Amino acid sequence: MDRLLRRRLEARFADKLTGPVRQRHDETELRIGAADLTEVMTALHDEPDLDFAVLADLAGVDTGNQMQVTYHLWSATTPDWLRVIADGLPRDNPRIATLTGLWPGAEWMERETYDMFGIIFEGNRDLRRIYMPPDYTSFPLRKDFYLADDAARSPGGGVRHMEQTHAPSQATERVVRRTVKA
Amino acid sequence: MTTHAPMGQHASEDDPRIMLDNQIGAFEAVPPYPPRTEREAEFYSLRDGEMFLNMGPQHPSTHGVLRVVLKINGEQVVDLDPVLGYLHRGVEKLCETSDYHHIISQVDPLEYVSSLFMEWAPVMAFEKLLDVRVPRRAEYIRVLTGELLRVSSHALFQGWMALDLGGLTPILYSFIERDEIVEMLAAITGQRMLFNYFRIGGVNGDLNHEFMSRLGDWMSRAAKQHEASIGLLNENEIFVRRMRGIGKLDKDTALRMAVTGPNLRAAGVPFDVRRAHPYSVYPELEFDIPVRGTRDGGDSLDRYLLRLDEVKESIRIIDQCLHNMPDGPVMARLPRLLRPRPGRAWAAVEAPRGLYGTYAISDGTDQPFRMKIHDPSFVNMQLVGMLMKGNLIADTMAVMASIDPVMGGIDK
Amino acid sequence: MAMTPDGPDVVTGLGVGPEDDPQTIPDQPGRAPSSLVAAGAADLMAPIVVTNTLWTSASAGAYASTAPAFTHLRELAHDELANADTARWGQLEVIPTKADLLVDLIRMNSLWPLLSGLACCAIEMMSAATSKNDMDRWGMFPFRASPRQADVLIVAGTLTTKMAGPLVRLWEQMPEPKWCVAMGDCTCSGGRYKRSYSTIEGIDRLMPVDVYVPGCPPRPEGLIYGMMKLGQLVKERRGQWPDRPIAPNVPEDV
Repeated sequence: MDRLLRRRLEARFADKLTGPVRQRHDETELRIGAADLTEVMTALHDEPDLDFAVLADLAGVDTGNQMQVTYHLWSATTPDWLRVIADGLPRDNPRIATLTGLWPGAEWMERETYDMFGIIFEGNRDLRRIYMPPDYTSFPLRKDFYLADDAARSPGGGVRHMEQTHAPSQATERVVRRTVKA
Repeated sequence: MTTHAPMGQHASEDDPRIMLDNQIGAFEAVPPYPPRTEREAEFYSLRDGEMFLNMGPQHPSTHGVLRVVLKINGEQVVDLDPVLGYLHRGVEKLCETSDYHHIISQVDPLEYVSSLFMEWAPVMAFEKLLDVRVPRRAEYIRVLTGELLRVSSHALFQGWMALDLGGLTPILYSFIERDEIVEMLAAITGQRMLFNYFRIGGVNGDLNHEFMSRLGDWMSRAAKQHEASIGLLNENEIFVRRMRGIGKLDKDTALRMAVTGPNLRAAGVPFDVRRAHPYSVYPELEFDIPVRGTRDGGDSLDRYLLRLDEVKESIRIIDQCLHNMPDGPVMARLPRLLRPRPGRAWAAVEAPRGLYGTYAISDGTDQPFRMKIHDPSFVNMQLVGMLMKGNLIADTMAVMASIDPVMGGIDK
Repeated sequence: MAMTPDGPDVVTGLGVGPEDDPQTIPDQPGRAPSSLVAAGAADLMAPIVVTNTLWTSASAGAYASTAPAFTHLRELAHDELANADTARWGQLEVIPTKADLLVDLIRMNSLWPLLSGLACCAIEMMSAATSKNDMDRWGMFPFRASPRQADVLIVAGTLTTKMAGPLVRLWEQMPEPKWCVAMGDCTCSGGRYKRSYSTIEGIDRLMPVDVYVPGCPPRPEGLIYGMMKLGQLVKERRGQWPDRPIAPNVPEDV
C-alpha cells in the first residue's frame, strides 16, 4: 500500500477524480469519468515520475446500472498495481475513447470488451467481434444475457446449497450461524 | 432453371467449363459482407498479384484452433489476419454463476499446459477479497508445483517449435519429459492435466511419498536432461537459420503491444512479475531473470533460447523450495460457504507465457459479480500480425511457435 | 440511438483510396482489380465430362451417378443408390468371406486419425501418440493433416458453435469408411461447458459417433482403450453405420 502514490495521484488528478483514491492490499484504485480517459492515461504513461509503462489488463464491467472499463497498469516507480476505473458509461450507448494510441496492444482487448459488452471504443481501427461469429447479435457478458442453467433445471436442482445463490438479503441468521460453525 | 450442369454440381464463375461440387457450407477466406472497420477494409482489399490464403481452423500446427488469413504476394506474406473464437467457451460468464470454489476448476482449461498458474491468480485474488493468509508450507508447495509445470510447459514449447518447423523427433523427447513431470503432479493432485489443486487458502493436499520419490529421481537427472535438451536443437543449422532474424521485436514495440512474459524478456525488457511485483514466497528465493536482446531487440531464436534459460532458473527454484520447505498446515481454515465483502481485487502471476491476471469483483454473495481473466497469449497473439509482414509463409509457423500461444487461453 | 452489433460505421466501400475506384480504372495488369467478386458469366458453355471407362461393376446400383450429399442420415440408409456398400454391412444373410476378414483386419490395424485436436484433450491425444504411450503400436501413428487421407476423426476438445461448421465440413470431406471417436467430456455431452452459450453439447448432435471416451481429460491409456474398442467395432462390423443416429445420447432433462 503505497501512501505516497495516493497523495501524488490525488494531487495530480484532483479535478478528474470522481471518487477518492482507494487502496487495499497492494492495489491503488483511481476513478475517473469516461471523458477524461485519454488525458489521464497519457499523463500516467508519459510523465517520468509516474511512468506506467506496462498495461496489464483492460476489462469491461457491467454493473447493472452502468458500464465501466477498468485498466490495470504497472510502473517501476511504485510497488502497487494501479487500477483506473472509467465509469459512467450509459448502458444503452457505452462509448469511450480508445487506448490504442498509447498501447497498440490494447486493440484486441478492446475488441474483446466490445464483443462481450457492446462498449464502443472510439478510434479503434478494428472494432469487430473477436470471439463470437461476426453475425452474432447479443453481447454475452451483459447482465441481461442469461445462461440456461442446467443445475437449476435438473431433477436434483436446488437441493444442495451450491445451486442456490444467496443474495445478502436472503442470508438469514440461521444460514450465517451455520456457515460460521462449518 | 435449366442448366448444363448435372445435379449436385455447379459451374465455376471463373471458367464455366469447370464443374465444381456443391459447396457444403461456404467458408470463404473473404467475409461475404462489406468491411465494417478500417482494418478490415485495409486487409481485405487486394492489390495486383496478391491473394488470400486461409490457414483454416484445423491445421497441422498444434497450437489449437486458430484461423489465420494470409494475404500473400507469391510466397511473401504481405499481411495477416488471425481469426479467433473457435474455442470460446464462455468461461467468464460461467464464472459469474459459479461458486468461488468451483471457479478454480473452471479456469483450469484456459492454458491447459500450465493449468496450475491458471488457478493461482484467481486464488490469489479471492484471498485478497477474503483477507486470508496462506500458510507458508502451502506457498512453498504452490511455488514448487508451479515451477515444475513451467519446466513442463517450456519442454512442450521446445517440441512444438521444432514440430512447426518440420522436425518430428523433438516432440517425442518433449512429451517424455512432460509425462514424467505430469505423473509426479498426478501423484499429489490425482490428475495429469487440469489439476484443480490450488484452493482458496492453500492447496488441496500435502506432498506424499510417491511425489517425493519421483521428484527426487527427476531432480537427480534434471541438470543433465536440461543439457541434453539444449544440445538437441541449438546447434542444428537448419533450425537456427530458420529462426535467426525472423520476427524481430524491439523493446519499445514490445511494451507498447502490452506483451509480457518470455516474449517481452527476449525483446530486452527485464519485466518478470515474480520480481517486478513479487507474490507468494518469491522474495525469499534466489533466482535470476534471463533477458535477451537488450541491444536491439530479439528474434525467434532469442525467444527460444530464453525459455531454455528459464528452465534452468526454474530448476534452481525447485531446488531451493525442496531445501527450505517449512512444516505446517497446507490450507487455511475457511468456512465452506465463502461470501467475501463487496470489493474488487486484482492479482497477477508469471505464467509460462506471460502475465496472467485475474480481476475479481465481489458483491457479497457466494458467486463473484465479475471475473475478468487476462490471458497472456491473447495479447501476445497480436504480435504475429505485426512480425510477419515481409516474411515467407513457412516463417509464419516459426514466428507463431516462438510466441508460444495456447488457444485455450486466447479464446477463453 | 441504435446499437448495431456490426460496429461503428467507418467504411462503406471496399477500396481505401482513389486508385481503387472501380469505375475509372480497367482491370489491367499493374492496376488494382475492379472488384473481388467476379461478375456472373454471360453465357454458359457445355461442361466437359469424362465418363468412367476404367472399371464398372455388374450391379447397376453399385455406383451412384452422383455423389450423395450426406452419408450419415437415417433417411438415406436404405437407399441403394445412396449407400452402395450397404449390402455387405450388417446384413445377416451375407456370410463374410476371408477376403472381407482380411480387409477388416487391414482397416482395423491402420486406422489413421485426423489431427483434430481442439483443446486440452488434444494434449492427451498427443501424449497417447508419443513415446510413453505409443499409439503407433496399433498402426495409428500418422496423424494426417488432410481429411481426405484419414480414417478416424478423433474429436478431442470442446466444440464451439463457431467451430461446428468447419468440423462438420471436415467430417464430410473424409471418405468412407470413416469412424468418429468423441474424446473427452466436452465432446461426449458438453461436459463442464454444458451451460455455456457458445458450445455444442456433445458432437453427437452433429455427426454419428462410434466410440465415446469420457474423462476430463481421459488418460492416454483411456484413449487407447477407446481406440481398441473401435478396432473391435471395425473388425466385427458391429458398427452402427449406416444406422448411426445423429442425436444426443443423453435424455434432454439430464
